[in-house]
Amino acid sequence: MNFTNETLNIDELPKYQEVPLQPLHPDYWKVMLISRIIFFVILGIVTGIVLFFNDEIREFWGYFMVILLVLFGISVVLGKLGFKKKGYAFRKHDVLYKSGIISETTTIIPFSRIQHVAMHEGVFARMFGLASIGIFTAGGGDSDIEIPGIEKEKALQIKQLLMSKLSEEPENPIVDHDGESEL
Amino acid sequence: MTEKANFNQPQRQSLIGVLVMFTDTFQKIIRAMWPLLVVWLFKFNQMNKLYLGLGLLVVIALVGIIAYLQYLNFTFYIDEESDEFIISKGVLNKTKIAIQLHKIQQVNINQTLVQKIIGVHALDVDTAGSNKKEVSIRAISHNLAVALKTKLLSEAKKEQLNNQSTEIPLTDKEEPFIKISFVSLLKIGVTSNYVRSFGVLMAFFITIYENVKQILQSADAGDAANAVDEKIDSYLNFDMAVYSAFLFILVLFVLILIVNLVRTIIRYFDFKMAKQNHSLLLSYGLLNTKNTIIKPEKVQIVALSQNWLQKKMDVLNIKIKQASGNETDKENKKSALEIPGCNAVEKDEILKLLFSQIPQQGAKLQPNWRYLLFPVLFYVVIPVSVLLLYVFNSEEATLNYLVFLPFYLAFVAIMLYFSYRHYRLFVNEQYIIRQSGAWDIDREIIEPHKIQSVKVSQLFWHKRANIGSITIATAGGSLSFRLGNFDRVKELANLWLYQVETTEKNWM
Repeated sequence: MNFTNETLNIDELPKYQEVPLQPLHPDYWKVMLISRIIFFVILGIVTGIVLFFNDEIREFWGYFMVILLVLFGISVVLGKLGFKKKGYAFRKHDVLYKSGIISETTTIIPFSRIQHVAMHEGVFARMFGLASIGIFTAGGGDSDIEIPGIEKEKALQIKQLLMSKLSEEPENPIVDHDGESEL
Repeated sequence: MTEKANFNQPQRQSLIGVLVMFTDTFQKIIRAMWPLLVVWLFKFNQMNKLYLGLGLLVVIALVGIIAYLQYLNFTFYIDEESDEFIISKGVLNKTKIAIQLHKIQQVNINQTLVQKIIGVHALDVDTAGSNKKEVSIRAISHNLAVALKTKLLSEAKKEQLNNQSTEIPLTDKEEPFIKISFVSLLKIGVTSNYVRSFGVLMAFFITIYENVKQILQSADAGDAANAVDEKIDSYLNFDMAVYSAFLFILVLFVLILIVNLVRTIIRYFDFKMAKQNHSLLLSYGLLNTKNTIIKPEKVQIVALSQNWLQKKMDVLNIKIKQASGNETDKENKKSALEIPGCNAVEKDEILKLLFSQIPQQGAKLQPNWRYLLFPVLFYVVIPVSVLLLYVFNSEEATLNYLVFLPFYLAFVAIMLYFSYRHYRLFVNEQYIIRQSGAWDIDREIIEPHKIQSVKVSQLFWHKRANIGSITIATAGGSLSFRLGNFDRVKELANLWLYQVETTEKNWM
């Protein structure tokens, strides 16, 4: 058994926080915008119907308009900020995804822990030729990553890359509890 | 001893198992209808006994027929050609379940009270990638159960060459290496789960109170009900309040003790652990006997829990969370195995078996004082301000209740102080140990190579303070440490990633 145990210098370990992140495709912002507009149009129609059938509050229609517009504005601004914060990176051994405005969260999944990879194309994303990549582990929903806004070609490449990494990793390294191994 | 059973032909369960199915269905009906039954019970005298009796007979006959049909339609066999375990069942909706043998993770032989009385066993098959026991044969003789288990697992092993441990089912000859004594169970019973039992009891009393009120109201609607209502409410005038509150707490406390004690004993009576190759075999239960296997390589999180009283009495609880597909946290809690009431020596032995050594605590990381802000807001600021608002807006009599406020504040302050002081993360090269809890101190142990993903997060207003949180996910649930020094947190993330990415060990 050739076992060595040098002291690990933590400072010399690769730092995830210094990895340059790849931003999402600029067109993805348009996708976000479209889905927001549609949401608010529906909300506006619903409000309109309510106002149409309810005489008592109809005279306040101006307020409703203003509230809706302000909410739309906030949602757009937050969306833009969130869009700018999102980013991903692939290192040799793991994948990073960063997101969040209020809580800035970086999730890192080592390739050897990936259970499966999924590609998803939304209706609007497809119009811009974009797709999202879902990366799943055995750790359950909380530990999974979904990277949106990747060009479809690139998404396919990424999927291929992850798949090849998956098969590259020894599927079940035979490690016994005592560390003995046999093939 | 064991007869050479042939499982290649579809076969039924033991005929006597109809009884089990009968009680199962009957239980389901009662469970679904219990609120109605309680009401009926109160109105028992007003009802027509003849109809009631006839109705009961009809229900019993119906359930009996259903149980018999269930028995007739339930068959199981092993298909050697496709290597599948096949079960057909269902009365109206026929279901056929085929489980590939190599996907079988575990086969458990259990016994409920009814099964114990009529002398049959249940056989549950656990598969990977599903969150509930997919298949359960409800009534099967012990010999047949053992034979089927051996067969299923040996077939499973053939395909799973990478899994070395050869499975031999638990027979009575196994020498248990740990037996939890009745005294330990007593100790654990009286010292654990205060919070949970308190909640259950409170819910119970509130439901009873509401129900009684409702029934009384519906029984003789109108003045009488109001009178009772007033009566109950007027009991709560202030002079009585202090006295009755203490009495109430005392009674509640005694009840909690009894409930805990009874539950622990019923659940874990005669707790035995046996070693087998590298696995642990557990069997326990007074009314329902359960058998399970723990494989160390499947263990993801080991949680030790001990409070001050338990420390004095030298008992503690161990919870073992194993890998089990894509489950939500809640379900994982359910599937966690508990070893109640072992002493320090037994704990060390179990840990040695699971980790092949006793995990040591490494370098300490403690939370920032801001860790306290949220609990203070949640347990102090919000409830107290709501209370004050309410008190000052209502009549003066309620002012007196403010007497209780200092007690509450003192209690919360002590709990928060200890929860802050106990909240620690210990990290060395082999183990991650998170300690938490105010009264019950939990220590959760994870080996770095079991990590599935690492998540680092920071609220934007914590950037200045340089603090942040880290969550590591394993296949048996996640563990997070909140508001530690952010430099240290990032360092840990890098260290654990390095460890996961360089390790030879598999997470399962």
